[in-house]
Amino acid sequence: MKSKTFATFVGPSIFMMILFIALPLAGVLSQSFYLTQSVYEEVEVETCTPSFTGQICLTEITTLPMLDKEGKKVTKTTFVGLRNYRNVIEFPRVIAAFANKSWQQFMTIDFWKALRFTLTFTLLTLPLVLLFGLLIALTINNAAKSIRGPVIFISLLPMIITPVIGALSIRWLFIGDGILTSFLEWWLVRDIAMFAQAWTIELMMMLYRVWHVAPFAAIVFYAALQTVNQDSLESAIIDGASRWERLRYVIIPHLMPLIVFVTLIHLMDSYRVFEEVIGFSSQSYVISLQWLTYDFLSLDMLGNRSISRASASAMLTMIGIVILLIPVLRGVWMDYKGRRL
Amino acid sequence: MTNVKALRQPLSLRLSSSIFLTFWCVVAAFPIFWITVMSVKLPIDAFNGNPLKVIFGPTTLAQGKGLSILDITIGLTILIITAKLATGWLIRMVGKFSPSGYLWAGWIIGSLTFGLLFVLVFFGLQPSLLNILNDISGILGINIIGFSTEHYSTVWFEKGFFNNFQNSLLVTTGVVTISLTFGTLAGYALSRSSSNLAFWILIIALIFRALPHSVLVTGYLPFFMNSAEILRPLLGDAAPTLYGLPWATIAVLVAINQPFTIWMLRSFFQNIPAELDEAAQVDGCSHFQAFRRVIMPVMWPGVITTGLFSFLLAYNDFLVTSLLLDVQNQTMVPAIARMFNMETTTTDQVVAVAAAVSIVAPLFFLVLFFQRQIVSGLTAGAVKG
Amino acid sequence: MFLKKIATTIAVSLISTSVWAGCAFENTTEVKSLTAGFDAWKAVTGAMAECGNVSASLDQDFKDKQPDAFAANPSLYQIGGVSNGTMVPLLNAGTIRPLDDLVAKYGSHLKPSQLIKVNGKIMAIAMMVNNQHFMYRSDVLDEFRLAVPTTYDEVLAAAATIAKYDVVDYPLGGTYKAGWNLAEEFVNMYLGNGGSFFGEGNAPAINNATGIASLETMKDLTAYMDPEYLVSDSTYVQQQFQQGKIAMANLWASRAGAMDNAEESQVVGKVIMSSAPMGSVRASSTNWWDGIVLAKNMTDDEADNAFRVAMEGLDTEMVQANNDAAVWLIDGYVAGNAAAGAIATANNSAAPYPSNEPGMGAMHTALGNGIAAFLNGAKDAATTLADIEAAYVVSATESGLM
Repeated sequence: MKSKTFATFVGPSIFMMILFIALPLAGVLSQSFYLTQSVYEEVEVETCTPSFTGQICLTEITTLPMLDKEGKKVTKTTFVGLRNYRNVIEFPRVIAAFANKSWQQFMTIDFWKALRFTLTFTLLTLPLVLLFGLLIALTINNAAKSIRGPVIFISLLPMIITPVIGALSIRWLFIGDGILTSFLEWWLVRDIAMFAQAWTIELMMMLYRVWHVAPFAAIVFYAALQTVNQDSLESAIIDGASRWERLRYVIIPHLMPLIVFVTLIHLMDSYRVFEEVIGFSSQSYVISLQWLTYDFLSLDMLGNRSISRASASAMLTMIGIVILLIPVLRGVWMDYKGRRL
Repeated sequence: MTNVKALRQPLSLRLSSSIFLTFWCVVAAFPIFWITVMSVKLPIDAFNGNPLKVIFGPTTLAQGKGLSILDITIGLTILIITAKLATGWLIRMVGKFSPSGYLWAGWIIGSLTFGLLFVLVFFGLQPSLLNILNDISGILGINIIGFSTEHYSTVWFEKGFFNNFQNSLLVTTGVVTISLTFGTLAGYALSRSSSNLAFWILIIALIFRALPHSVLVTGYLPFFMNSAEILRPLLGDAAPTLYGLPWATIAVLVAINQPFTIWMLRSFFQNIPAELDEAAQVDGCSHFQAFRRVIMPVMWPGVITTGLFSFLLAYNDFLVTSLLLDVQNQTMVPAIARMFNMETTTTDQVVAVAAAVSIVAPLFFLVLFFQRQIVSGLTAGAVKG
Repeated sequence: MFLKKIATTIAVSLISTSVWAGCAFENTTEVKSLTAGFDAWKAVTGAMAECGNVSASLDQDFKDKQPDAFAANPSLYQIGGVSNGTMVPLLNAGTIRPLDDLVAKYGSHLKPSQLIKVNGKIMAIAMMVNNQHFMYRSDVLDEFRLAVPTTYDEVLAAAATIAKYDVVDYPLGGTYKAGWNLAEEFVNMYLGNGGSFFGEGNAPAINNATGIASLETMKDLTAYMDPEYLVSDSTYVQQQFQQGKIAMANLWASRAGAMDNAEESQVVGKVIMSSAPMGSVRASSTNWWDGIVLAKNMTDDEADNAFRVAMEGLDTEMVQANNDAAVWLIDGYVAGNAAAGAIATANNSAAPYPSNEPGMGAMHTALGNGIAAFLNGAKDAATTLADIEAAYVVSATESGLM
């Protein structure tokens, strides 16, 4: 393909990605090395507020941001190098925690707490998603042809349901005396509060994610099962391979590219776990990296955002995902080179 | 399958396999089933701790709102017939009556007409018919399960969900159309190029795919709100305020969606032998003509599958739409989050549950219609990483 | 029935575009408002809409959007709904306009207490006040012959008594959801005990005996709450009350009306409102107000028009139609039983929320993120407060305050 034709074809797509992804990202990168502050001045202010008994007026000296002639906030931007990163990583507290050999103390530092959860979440849900996906695919494949359609239909539901609604409906089932909590209480004959300790919340978040993603894996695997080479299966049978061996040596290798594909997608999606933190309001126990960035970015009551720290934490998240993806990216590179030869 | 005997499975395996599958189906469907049940009950029943009371809804029933055996039978029959028609008859009719090359248009018109007919029959004709039948059919006509549609009418008629529905329709249509147009072009070019540039485009797209969205989206907000002032030197007085404009949101969603779209479409294109476009070029087509006349007609399964994923992304999106759209043109998902976050009464919460079911319902029908395309699209060996 | 409903909806929507019956004038210039979404705002914006050409955004993200939307030129909205907290960013950024002229022209009916003045200029018109106050089940307290608690020690004693018997699931409820709610509970407690948040130059000053005592009281209270207190917000506590699961709680005045709503509540007439428990200095609660502001970036004519529309929303007619939706400051409001707690709390000299402290925004965020670690036992009180102060110092330094 000529490079001019190539450019015409990919042009619109590249343009959109540059405009809405690359440019904001470059902005985030440069923000993470700078600090933008309002300039404050001390002024005397009299404020009058209502109450039932009349008005209360207070006069006091306070610091307010300075406004320029056009009425915009005066700000100054300084280059601070890696200070924003240091503020996110908080090394002194890390060192203090290590000096005390206290894991609990280490886990009170936001960034590390978020990193710990994000990694646990990603790495624990991954095998579960693959396992459940494979099991569902195999059992669907094993079922009578007539019921496959309806079963696939039901299996697809968790995948297509709006994540916000999915998380909410799971939450309704468990919060307070929700229907499933009541069931568990009746079954285990004890009082249960699912939202009262970190591990149950974490467990629910992971189960929700597996519930939400396993169908995707299942459908991809099921589709691939339809193209398993019957000849190699039959020769395996003739060689006397057991059912397990056939699965292990014929079917799994056939599915391998798709297992890599599902792994890739799942790593990317679960590393930026966010909806679960909001949906289960877990922030008092567990937080994730994207939630941390989001929290830095939300306006506090007085209208300030910690943009610099948010940028730094976003860049750290990025670095993390690139590290996680390196093995997979290497595979893609090999594959690509191989194809070209 | 020549060697049937060797493939026959022992009873234990078949049994555990079907037990697992049944278990999975219950797990998969339960949350959705449950919110549907809650949405047709009055608040006291809906949030009751006793599951039987939630299902049968005694308080709702006591207020004279319920379903009789007859209602349930007829309702279920209509639903089953609809499902059968949708998966069989409709597909045949669309295939038969669509002019060749315009199958997609046939699908759109077909599904819309079908959906409209269903709504008319199920919500329009059925209730009035059943009212008459219930009166004359004695014991079968007595209400046994609490059932009330009042929350749905609150959602759709009083809370203006119609408006949100239209906005969702606009945004998803826009996103799917533009994503696919740009995505097929790029995906095709990338599948036919083996330059280093193409490789790096793919890798960078992959990294973009992994980006946390909140980082990007919060960056847009100040720019979108001030865009009229920022763009004035460039565009003069025509400079728009991007905040609240559906097409600006569509553009953002398309961009966020591009990495996945081009990867997926690229792998579909790779399955189409390059000899095909070479042959077309020998016949004197330009690259673009070859793409349009020869490649696209065999690409429909891939386009439909990718389109469905784009649809899901746009329809289900919360972060982008809630921040960049004004309340007046918000889509359904942020609208429902608004219902939950407002200082709500318990009634409002059940109303929001009804809204949640209303959002899921179109997805339900979508899967019903396109299930075959999803599975066969993936079976076509599309997704190779 | 369904078809009929569609038909009526269409008919109603056609009519409503030309209705201005409840309004003194016909509005011809478009007026847009951005406010929070709770009931009182529904009532107010509904009354404004009667003038025609009003589009009201009742948005849950209003406080994220307002600063940028009002900074745009021309402003994206003419009218903004604010509270004493959310007005500050707009005030600091200079994006709202003084209203003295307009009040002189159209606002003769406003009560002096409604006029929010900063440096002598009217910057906002308040419409209602809100605070957290004590609510209790009178039948439960009567059953055990308990007097209405007026301090937190009495609350704890009453809770201990109730906990011995199986009348309610949990003696206490609390809006302890991590984040904004939890921080607000601490602010109430700390101010009630006479604490102050800042020292010289906006330095934090919460790591002291008062701070520790406030945290300890909060932790003592949680022992009698639903163990899921860290996810319970106002709606959840309100539901616990309505379903008869709790006997006492400190809850927002704007929720008081819901206790007697027969459609939802199983405890109609049994929940009584009283003052927030006293701290060592004053009632442990903070007073809030909600009201409207006008954007600076619009023409004077537009502002004139927007103000007239806003006044239609804040008139006596609206209050009479929605008397129990809030504790209104507007003329014509009749304080009912539901308002008793709010008024008693204010009379016990509860402090206004300290939103005029420049560091309060960062402090509130730091508190909201930090306190949970103490309540679930990960840190002791002094360490928690020290860590919150450290988090505050980082954000205050970053924003230039320190």
